[in-house]
Amino acid sequence: MTTTRRIGMTVNGERHEAEVEVRTTLVDFLRGTLGLTGTHVGCEHGVCGACTVLWNGKAVRSCIMLAVQADGAEVKTVEGLADGATLHPIQQAFLEKHGLQCGFCTPGFMMSIHELLTRTSAPTDDEIVDTLGGHICRCTGYQAIVEAVHLAVEKMRASK
Amino acid sequence: MSGVDDIPKSVAGLPNTSPRYIGQPVERLEDPALLTGRTQFIDDVVLPRMLHCAILRSPHAHARIVAVDTSEAAKLPGVVAVVTGEDAKRWSNPTMTVPPGWGTHCLATDKARFVGEPVAAVAAVSRYVAEDALELIGVEYESLPAVADARKALEPGSPLLFEEHGHNVMLQKVFTWGDVDAAFASAVHVVQQQFRWNRLGANPLETFGVVSEWDVVDGTLTCRGSFQAQNHFAMARAMVFNLPLNKVRFISHPHGGSFGGKGGARGTDITALLSRKAGGRPVKWIEDRMEYLAGGASQAWDRHYDAAIALDTNGKVTGFKVKLLDDLGATAEGWGAVSAAKPLTNFTGCYAIPAAQYDLTIVATNKLPGSPYRGMGPPPHNWVLEQLMDLAARKLAFDPAEIRRRNFIPPEAFPYTIASGNEYDSGDYRAALETALEMADYPALRAEQLRLRSEGRYVGIGLVNTIEPGVFDWNAYAIVGQPGTGVPEGATVAIDLFGKLTIKVGFALEGQGQYTVAAQVLADYFAVDIADVRVVALDTLSAPPHFGPGGSRLGVALTGAVLGAAQRLTEKLIAVAAVLFQTTPEHVELRNGMIGVKGMPEAQMPFQQVAQTMLARSDLLPPGIDPNPESTFVWTAPGRTPADDQGRAKSYLTAANACHIVLVEVDIETAQVHIKKYWIADDCGTRLNPANVEGQTQGGVAQGVGAALLEEAVYDEDAQLRTSTFMDYLLPTIYEVPMTEKRALCTPSPFTPLGAKGCGEGAMHTTPAAILCAINDALAPLGVALFEVPASPQRIWTLLQGAAPR
Amino acid sequence: MKPPVFDYATPSSLAEACALLAQHEGEAKVLSGGQSLVPLLNMRLARPTVLVDLARIPDLDYVRADGDGFAIGAMTRQRTVELSPQVQAQHPLLHAGMLLIAHPQNRNQGTVGGSLAHADPAAELPALALALDATFEATGPTGARTIAAPDFFLTYLTTALEPSEILTAVRFPTLPKRTGWSILEIARRHGDFGLAGVVAIVGLAPDGQIASARLVLFGVGATPIRAAAAEGMLAQATAGRALFADVGARAAADLEEPLTDVHATAAYRRDLARVLTARALAEATTRARAA
Repeated sequence: MTTTRRIGMTVNGERHEAEVEVRTTLVDFLRGTLGLTGTHVGCEHGVCGACTVLWNGKAVRSCIMLAVQADGAEVKTVEGLADGATLHPIQQAFLEKHGLQCGFCTPGFMMSIHELLTRTSAPTDDEIVDTLGGHICRCTGYQAIVEAVHLAVEKMRASK
Repeated sequence: MSGVDDIPKSVAGLPNTSPRYIGQPVERLEDPALLTGRTQFIDDVVLPRMLHCAILRSPHAHARIVAVDTSEAAKLPGVVAVVTGEDAKRWSNPTMTVPPGWGTHCLATDKARFVGEPVAAVAAVSRYVAEDALELIGVEYESLPAVADARKALEPGSPLLFEEHGHNVMLQKVFTWGDVDAAFASAVHVVQQQFRWNRLGANPLETFGVVSEWDVVDGTLTCRGSFQAQNHFAMARAMVFNLPLNKVRFISHPHGGSFGGKGGARGTDITALLSRKAGGRPVKWIEDRMEYLAGGASQAWDRHYDAAIALDTNGKVTGFKVKLLDDLGATAEGWGAVSAAKPLTNFTGCYAIPAAQYDLTIVATNKLPGSPYRGMGPPPHNWVLEQLMDLAARKLAFDPAEIRRRNFIPPEAFPYTIASGNEYDSGDYRAALETALEMADYPALRAEQLRLRSEGRYVGIGLVNTIEPGVFDWNAYAIVGQPGTGVPEGATVAIDLFGKLTIKVGFALEGQGQYTVAAQVLADYFAVDIADVRVVALDTLSAPPHFGPGGSRLGVALTGAVLGAAQRLTEKLIAVAAVLFQTTPEHVELRNGMIGVKGMPEAQMPFQQVAQTMLARSDLLPPGIDPNPESTFVWTAPGRTPADDQGRAKSYLTAANACHIVLVEVDIETAQVHIKKYWIADDCGTRLNPANVEGQTQGGVAQGVGAALLEEAVYDEDAQLRTSTFMDYLLPTIYEVPMTEKRALCTPSPFTPLGAKGCGEGAMHTTPAAILCAINDALAPLGVALFEVPASPQRIWTLLQGAAPR
Repeated sequence: MKPPVFDYATPSSLAEACALLAQHEGEAKVLSGGQSLVPLLNMRLARPTVLVDLARIPDLDYVRADGDGFAIGAMTRQRTVELSPQVQAQHPLLHAGMLLIAHPQNRNQGTVGGSLAHADPAAELPALALALDATFEATGPTGARTIAAPDFFLTYLTTALEPSEILTAVRFPTLPKRTGWSILEIARRHGDFGLAGVVAIVGLAPDGQIASARLVLFGVGATPIRAAAAEGMLAQATAGRALFADVGARAAADLEEPLTDVHATAAYRRDLARVLTARALAEATTRARAA
């Protein structure tokens, strides 16, 4: 038992190991230690959803999870969505539908949508609302985001 | 040299017979970087030897600071510098304010005036350690009585925020336009009502952040941060630190939303002091959300209204009086007073009201200083006026649509000068109303409302029309002490050796898609692919005069700047091409991306080739032409006038308008409000990128829903903040925001580049009014009405306890 | 908003975890999903000396159907319960309750045991546990014991768990035949803690009379509250609007002073309890008839 600990996790397919203070939040580890600054911090108390990442495939708020809790986990961040220069269908759908304005909340939204569309290729409207409900967007008023989800569903179906 | 009057007022005036981008929902150039997490926001910046700042804040609303002991904090390993009010006094001046004389240093010196006011700060090797150090700072406070209620702050014997003034009144003045007393004396009907708009604010998803570097050798200050108007922050820092302006360099980073308030003067000054004390090491401060809510630019519009309209027998409004008590909080540092002045630009809304009066009092209390927020004041003002219109309709037994029809400024009356002095450029308000009524199938909606009422269900229809003043001007704020007329916005357009185009601007990404708009305009001007245009941001020392986004102006101003620069550049290209074509410049023109001899279709060459000639063939340059295929133009709105003694000025250049109709249901047992449907017909002239406009509108609806139903910064009577987290300050989510049906009308502005009008704030101007009108329409059969926002379930429930038996 | 310094332990057995809690009595805090705890750490409102993370202890993450109920391991994520096809099919009330807990990201990380042991009176899981007569399995330094739901929730954020005791599992009985359910809550926004909420379970006799009834109110007191007297009014009664309105009034009247906060006064919360009780009973009865 100490105030620091050596942890390892696979982030976007790449294995990382580091010694961290146990109080380090997962988002501070991803951003500060690994330099993956695409995940953003909006409230640090688990409300806004900007920091959402996938933890073993499940969307979680990385501001209210300690990095040590993710020891040994598979983590996916927005940096892991695109395939090289090719945007992920979710990213492409956001682009085409103007699903973002300032873009600060967008990575978090996309990670939750990623979880949803990995689980089901035909989400219901309720499932979409439930998925987006844990995120705050201050710019778009959500309408274009919902349209982007529908377009992403089509794109992902078409690519199968 | 071409000037502002030569900029085309419509797309037809461009040197391109088939523009491809303007008016299209072009995908945003900004998005690929944002979508892949590569856009560099301020918290993503890491500089060598950078330190992290944490700020100790007053837990007291009002307290004398007896002593601050930082010795233990300074000893904590990892702590490099600690600053207090003493350092602020030694190295800086109190910030300038509007109105003047109500400001303080960035760290409390003699006393703290609100909960969350910075008292001391630490720079350490990490934010974690810096926060550890804050716990080791000892502050001895002597608690003072606090005042949280603006009405009490006016009373004799109230605690004083600034003892030297002897009172808490920051500004008090009555503005009278026309014979308003006669209008009320001769009125057939008068409708009067008190209203309360509670504090709320911008809350962009990204809080403010800054990295300051004080070069102790050169005596220069460099600040990177999420500054909405970097030049203004730079100017203010020069004054705060007694630095020449050219020794202050501000580099604005893309920011995660702003809505008026992005930028933290105190945090910037505190990090500058820390950097100086740390021998010049860069110091980063990222405001956390609780700091933002308690001590940031998070609160605006804390207002008590008493307002009335006078009507004649036909329902024509003949006079409008507004008495406003505006609670600005502890100081005037946040530019919030500007929000009390801006309603002069659309005081009488869409209506031809000949006489009006504005009795304005701005008062100081022990709450967070007010800041700008999207709309800058008219959202509450419109909310008051539109509800008075509904009250009048009810009194005169008119349909809410009909009373508005009878009062609209008619389309043939433009340009129209309203009583408070501003000039509306153009519009057809009746058309917006009728369009929205048709979209909503208004008669059917009223029938459905009656049917549901017979089932004991209370649905209400809100229908409002508003003006969105666009393209802001400093002259609108003269009444609160802001000097100046005109807001310059510059852009530089350059062609490189390979023939590609770069637009250089003085503002960072903020979310509105302005870089895309600039690229659309320039691509169409030169008839090139939009991929050939890049937009880059310059810092305050390299950019032309600029302001950036704000006051629904940038789309118009930037279009003017880009087109102005492109035209000046074209003049250069033509001068060079004239030599190549062995003719004189007046015979040469730009047409569809080619520079050619007028009337000779074959005598032409791509404009890029002319630019390359300039850069690579000095032997071919005519005398007096430098080899730089680059031009700068600084656009400012033409024809603006300084304010007179009653605040009247030609100020905001454009007047967009909208009609919103909303259907709500109030569950009278639980006091819950559900927005069922929402329709919008709006007119902002030429839509440069309709998808951008639609996004601004829908985003404004969301913020309007927040204002109407959810958002409130609550202080108790001791001025303690009770909404210090996102668990209590409630932002609207997808569950609360309606998906809207929108239809666009177009009355181009006769005064602006390409006929565009400002459109960034319109929905925020309208939605709160629409929702409250709808709620009160739903509650009307119960004989109760709510004139306070947010219309929280608690407030509605309390109201219903006094309602008629049902 | 960064957490203060603390130690962190990842015991690999319950015994080890209990020993750690005993060793740091009062200074240690159990970390399960962290959805309530980590925000408090970030705000430095919680100051444990050591966090004891249960995540590495085997066999605490399961959803098992066992005849007339579901046994759920304490470290089972709320989302696992929500997405369980078995729970969806056989325990729709439990499923519906999960959907009211915050948002998917919280449910993906938040645990069933964590929410129950945290015992926020406005939370859904404690109310469900009380309404369903759930039983709690706890292990302490001296061994394991079973705690019945009525004995588990003591007061605000306080349970019957001893300082060195760990909740290991909870068993939610399924509903019998001809029984309907409802869980209703009013929150400022969907996913926020409810201002008031109700779980109603109504069993009907073959003749349509009410055979059994269970009413639990949440968000209106220091713990979830069983409205026993109001339940009594339903016994052998005939379902109907007027009855449900009376029962709602009784349930609300019987409440001790509910919380007043920035969102709702005690009086408004009490009135919501009245309205929601009547509505929940109507909905539960409708479901019972269809069952």
